[in-house]
Amino acid sequence: MASIREELDDSYRNALPTSMGTGNLWIHGLLWATIVVLLLPIALAAIYSTQSTFQVYDIQNVFPGTEFIANYTSVLFEHNFLRYMQNSLIMTVVIIGGKLTFSLLAATALVYYDFRYKTLAFYAILFTLLMPLPVRIVPLYQLMAEIGWLNSFTGLTAPFIASATAVFLFRQQFRSIPASIVETAKLDGIGPIKFLVYVLIPMSKGMIAGVIAIMFISMWNAYLWPLVVMTERSNQVAQVGLRFIQGTASEGLTEWNLVMAAAMLALVPPLIVLIVTRKHLLSTLGGGHR
Amino acid sequence: MSEHTDRLQIFSSTREAALLLLPTMLFILVFLYYPFVETVFLSFHRIRILGNETWIGLDHYVRMLESSDYRYSFGVTILFTAVTVTVSLLLSLLISFLIHEVDRYKNLYLVSVIWPYALPLAVAAVLLDFLLHPQLGVFTWALDTYLGIEFAWDTDGRLALVAVMLGAIWQGMGYNIIFITAALGQIPSAITDAAELDGIGRLQRLFRLYVPLISPILVFLIVVQTVGAFFGGFALVDLMTSGGPNNATNILMFNLYQDAFRNQQFGYAAAQSVVLFAFVAVMMVIQLKVTDRYAYYGGA
Repeated sequence: MASIREELDDSYRNALPTSMGTGNLWIHGLLWATIVVLLLPIALAAIYSTQSTFQVYDIQNVFPGTEFIANYTSVLFEHNFLRYMQNSLIMTVVIIGGKLTFSLLAATALVYYDFRYKTLAFYAILFTLLMPLPVRIVPLYQLMAEIGWLNSFTGLTAPFIASATAVFLFRQQFRSIPASIVETAKLDGIGPIKFLVYVLIPMSKGMIAGVIAIMFISMWNAYLWPLVVMTERSNQVAQVGLRFIQGTASEGLTEWNLVMAAAMLALVPPLIVLIVTRKHLLSTLGGGHR
Repeated sequence: MSEHTDRLQIFSSTREAALLLLPTMLFILVFLYYPFVETVFLSFHRIRILGNETWIGLDHYVRMLESSDYRYSFGVTILFTAVTVTVSLLLSLLISFLIHEVDRYKNLYLVSVIWPYALPLAVAAVLLDFLLHPQLGVFTWALDTYLGIEFAWDTDGRLALVAVMLGAIWQGMGYNIIFITAALGQIPSAITDAAELDGIGRLQRLFRLYVPLISPILVFLIVVQTVGAFFGGFALVDLMTSGGPNNATNILMFNLYQDAFRNQQFGYAAAQSVVLFAFVAVMMVIQLKVTDRYAYYGGA
């Protein structure tokens, strides 16, 4: 709660005295209306996720039901959603770890080294922005089939570990570190890895947090590649797991209460990441003016 | 190169630099450049079984041009993208402006409207699939009961496209608002003060003054969201409509997926990938012309 208080205090301080007045009432009103519209589907889904299948088929029943625990237990254990969530988490953590390591190393080379093919290396990384997954999905699938990586976490994660975006964000961050600090490090005679670990990373914590948040959200939400590469259900991730639960019907009826429960579960991790890291996320995404 | 970046170059061993770049370069080569080049290669071949390729020149491209299904899919994608990006950007601009203008709780409002950035498209898809369900959906029921609108998107292709668009607009707003509020926040207050002294109304201030000032960010967002809509619509279509009814929501990405992984026409699908690449390339040229930001098109 402390952070919310601080934010409120901040906004009081930043408020322009000239803009106070009755004109602000309708702005608050419109903002509240917007929030309600954006949140309504989530709120309804949360309610439906507590109803029984019988209740959920009664359109006018938009009240919390009694099956909260039963539904979530059924989704997590009988419908294997816990497994899918774990798979999502493993995928996300592996990719983030790899991306961070690789891109921090690459950015160090691009900023702190003077070498011949630097421009070439930079453009080689830049051009990969032209190759999102849909542009290379067929051969990538074939490659995975040939080397036996279909249906494996290696195949799921490896194609996403190299990241132009992260390299560029860190490159930009490193270039903003004052030259005097860098020169002091040089006088101390430390090597590049020590320089990275003891100087660059501590000075880039905010940016690293922001990049982790961006990566977490984008990887957790991945749908197409897991759908293609994971051929066995038990290896699947949460987003595709929604498809399985949506497709299961009991006595000819889709159990929408369970689908809603699964959707809530799949939404919670990225939402928490966004709320916890919002300051770093906002400054990494929105504040990156050069 | 500026003096500052020169002073930063404290190391000079080419071998060390190469080692630091090696992991990234290796992965880029194997998982990005190689599959990309292979996509172009496959697009000129017929593939019966994996690994058995026959050169057929431009046949796949000719087939694409001649296929009315593909042309229809192209049209659907353009319509889906144009509407989604325009509506989402316009709404985001207005909401960001409200946050810019509001006198307090700015940060609280901001978090309460940017959260859809974290909303997985698959989640948005299954939620809308149920809430808009033709027979069971509470939104469909409300539309019918209070407004007399029958939202039968299971049979009406245009409505199906609207349903999918709603998901994309909803999810896309968070990202837009993050960038637009940041850009609005950087406009010097002196400019706003001068405008207020001139007695310019609020909406006029937004569209005549602020929009031109933040236009680079708006172009950046148009590019990112256009690419995002081209590719990202996949989860929505796959979970909500499966391209139907009557191909009305068969966006290019879904068409490609079907041809590759359902119909096993890898060569034809690769040719479709090349078309998508041409599109991304054009968007990126536009983007680099107006801003020095490098967009993240999402790995998903």
